[in-house]
Amino acid sequence: MAELTENLDFRRYFTREPVIVALLCVGAAVGFAAVGALSSMYHTQQQSLAVYWFNKGNADLAQHRFERAAQEFHVALLYSRDSYDFRLNLAEALVGLGRIDEASTYFNNLWERQPENGLVNLELARIAARNKNIEQALRYYHNAIYGVWPPEKETMRRQTRLELIDYLLGINAKRQAQSELIALAATLGNEPAQRLRLGDLFLRVQDYQDALSAYRAALRADPGNAAALAGAGQASFELARYSQAARYLRAALAQSPENTSLAALLKTAELVLQMDPFRRGVSLAERNRIVIRAFQTAGDRLQTCMPATGLTQPTAAERNLPDTWEKIKPRITDRGLRRDPSLVETAMDLVFDIERQTSVTCGAPAGTDMALLLIAKLHEGS
Amino acid sequence: MKGVEVRPPTPSTTATGQQEQSTHSSAAARRSARTLLRSMFQEDRFFLLLSVFIGVFSGLAVVCFRFAIDWCRIYILGSGVGLSPTRLVLAPALTGLFVAILVKRFFPGARGSGVNQTKAALYIYNGYIPVRTAVGKFITSSLAIGAGHSLGPEDPSLQIGASLASALGRYTRLSRERMRLIAPVGAAAGLAAAFNAPISAVLFVIEEVIGRWSAGVLGSVVLSSVASAVVMRWFLGSEALFRVPTVHMEHPWELIAYAILGIVGGLASVVFARGISTLRLRFRSLPKQTQIWQPAFAGALIGFIALFGAPQVMGAGYEYIDEAMHGQFTWQFLAILAGLKIVATILSFVSGTPGGMFAPTLFIGAMLGASVGGAEHSLLPFFGGSPGTYALVGMGVLFAGFLRVPMTSVFMVLEVSGNYSIILPVIVANTLAYVISRGLQPTPIFDLLTRQDGLELPSMEDLREEESLHVEDAMRPPDDLVLPHGATVAQALQQLTEKSLTAVLVPLQPYGWTSIDKHTLANLAEEGQGAVEVTSVLNSGPIPCLHPDHPLDKALPYFDRWDLVPVVSRAGLTQLEGVISPRDVLDEYRSLPVESE
Repeated sequence: MAELTENLDFRRYFTREPVIVALLCVGAAVGFAAVGALSSMYHTQQQSLAVYWFNKGNADLAQHRFERAAQEFHVALLYSRDSYDFRLNLAEALVGLGRIDEASTYFNNLWERQPENGLVNLELARIAARNKNIEQALRYYHNAIYGVWPPEKETMRRQTRLELIDYLLGINAKRQAQSELIALAATLGNEPAQRLRLGDLFLRVQDYQDALSAYRAALRADPGNAAALAGAGQASFELARYSQAARYLRAALAQSPENTSLAALLKTAELVLQMDPFRRGVSLAERNRIVIRAFQTAGDRLQTCMPATGLTQPTAAERNLPDTWEKIKPRITDRGLRRDPSLVETAMDLVFDIERQTSVTCGAPAGTDMALLLIAKLHEGS
Repeated sequence: MKGVEVRPPTPSTTATGQQEQSTHSSAAARRSARTLLRSMFQEDRFFLLLSVFIGVFSGLAVVCFRFAIDWCRIYILGSGVGLSPTRLVLAPALTGLFVAILVKRFFPGARGSGVNQTKAALYIYNGYIPVRTAVGKFITSSLAIGAGHSLGPEDPSLQIGASLASALGRYTRLSRERMRLIAPVGAAAGLAAAFNAPISAVLFVIEEVIGRWSAGVLGSVVLSSVASAVVMRWFLGSEALFRVPTVHMEHPWELIAYAILGIVGGLASVVFARGISTLRLRFRSLPKQTQIWQPAFAGALIGFIALFGAPQVMGAGYEYIDEAMHGQFTWQFLAILAGLKIVATILSFVSGTPGGMFAPTLFIGAMLGASVGGAEHSLLPFFGGSPGTYALVGMGVLFAGFLRVPMTSVFMVLEVSGNYSIILPVIVANTLAYVISRGLQPTPIFDLLTRQDGLELPSMEDLREEESLHVEDAMRPPDDLVLPHGATVAQALQQLTEKSLTAVLVPLQPYGWTSIDKHTLANLAEEGQGAVEVTSVLNSGPIPCLHPDHPLDKALPYFDRWDLVPVVSRAGLTQLEGVISPRDVLDEYRSLPVESE
């Protein structure tokens, strides 16, 4: 009897619970398979919706329809909420909409995920620059320059440095801009356009020698490049290489004769060349003629400037320019200069003094006065 | 359990002997297998095993539920932008009407959130929740939430889990005791999968459904929660519900800012709870034929709110919680969103639309938190917390203030954020919100809803705070109730007579106590043993001692054998702290105030 009971008991244990567990296992397996199939459908649909709305957003972003683009990126994020690209594009759309604070939050979050991302750093730099946070802007610009860019956007690294240079020039940090330009020059190829841009930037930071080198490099690749010729002319002019400047400027004007500023610069360079009595190879007669003309020009400038200023009441350290000019004037003739060659220097010193003084008190001169002032600078300390 | 009998082999081994031996070893193997199976399938162990399956099935159901909600949203409201105003208003309204018809005709048990139904299963229906309820909840909640009703998927997931567990329990013919516990096990699994937060799910079920920590059910609840969370992550990934930004607290005095958030959150919780309790009664008091139109009315109003610039209030709104955490809204707009979400959720819930209140609570909390944080930051810029930190704390605040689950509220924030550095702000803010909410709204929302439904379920808040009586509350000082060492029968009898006592305690050597009553002593004296020491005539062993901190009900079984039980110090068994008798226990219970209905 006991054995029978035990057997029944055994059968019960061996049949009921293990069978239940086995059935539950089968049920779970079937459930997993079914939900797996549903899950696959679900994820495929979510993915395709995400891509659909992302593409729509990109199309709108490209056409600067920022409001729609932002909405579409928002929707795309509903279906693929962790997508880095979706967030990035949404943030860019928000920037386009001028919702900088929101965009900034997105960029900051993206930065936390990928602090090395070049584009995110660039956008954060722009936001910091807009918020006048110079320190942060410079940090993000540098992060962007040395960050990671996708291969097809490698040129963005250079663009970012150029943008940084523009920013530095905008805040008048010319020394830092010059350093960045030198670093940029090392990464540039010999394409005329790039060299030309480099030359322009060197010109802006007043690094005329490097600017001239950059323009010359551009001209080597494209000798007739009008912009490079103009830039080289301008750089040469600033370096006080007036004959070189005139040569470049003439060539530039030959290609773009309507450029009045270049024409004015060429005229000044030519005047400098014409009005410099100390240049090599000038005959005595020519030199005297130049000195007489320069003296007269300076006297006229003094006459024009005198009523408006206090030039008649010089300080103790200064000489009275009008009086001195009047005193010397009778001697500044061809004969006088031939008789006393030292008068050339005396007259020209007075001319330079007048031009310097009047440029301070009456503003920048023009034409021959400008040329004389430049000649004065050219011979300063000699 | 019997041991396995093994006989030694006989020297003469015959064929019969071999057969016998083989029969015996076969019997032994069967016995061992039986023992193993018995041990494996003892009900408590089987219950644990079943909990894992409950978790798996609940996880699968909740994953499908999530898919269903998303598909409903896509097909009812569209997959993206550019919804026409007509559709925005009509979609939730017409879906509300359809859902109401389904609930009224086919799934009457699917109304409401699901938490109370699970509690009712535990306390009233012996763990029984019909499968139809789960099916109804699944269909109607998916439609309602997908169509933009301001409700969440967590409470329905909880009920779906509980219902599945109940079905499994019935199928496996569990005992009544286990059946009662199985609903909370399934509830935890459903909630863990819905929240992707198993710890919070376990705590919520312990705190709000079961009401007390019970070792018998804790293991099952944990196993089912973990299993369902694993299933959910298998199919939907392990990401939390929200992308939580870096949260931090820069300086301790920022706690003041979070305290303000706690106060605001506490007040908002009261407004939210009162709104629901008052309007639900009003809606219910309307003529019966209007009930079918109420969800449609609520849906239309929510559609209008969306139409007039706040589509964020539609549905569960997790994506907007995410955005609030990342500072995508101004603090003024966040405050408006919090207010509108309160209105939308009240409308959806009181209209009887099936769906949960967890997600709206989190939404309101996040918006309110980020809003308060933003306002504080703009007024007092030295408060430096990020919007994400305030939104996270805000979620916990509403959880503590509205749902009144303080423990869960703290752990939910920690689990969701995965960051323990905000524990101080969370505790401060949640405690304030909880205290304010309790002060202004003494009855928690779940209890209010239960009473409105005509049920009387135990209040978990009351259970948590119920004062239990201890032995020390009822015991008396020993004074004259102890016989001096070496006392004779006559002396003992005299002591009992003089003091009008029925029994005294007798100290034993080297330690321990026993008791002797007046009747026994009188008999001994009559037998002429008056001069004999009491200890030498005792024929009973020592009485098991109680300690002052023992629960008072622990004393009750002792009184069947002893009238007087010694209460000794835990520091030394010879140190008598007091004595306790049945009358002392009764007097103590009589002194308690009786709760009026």
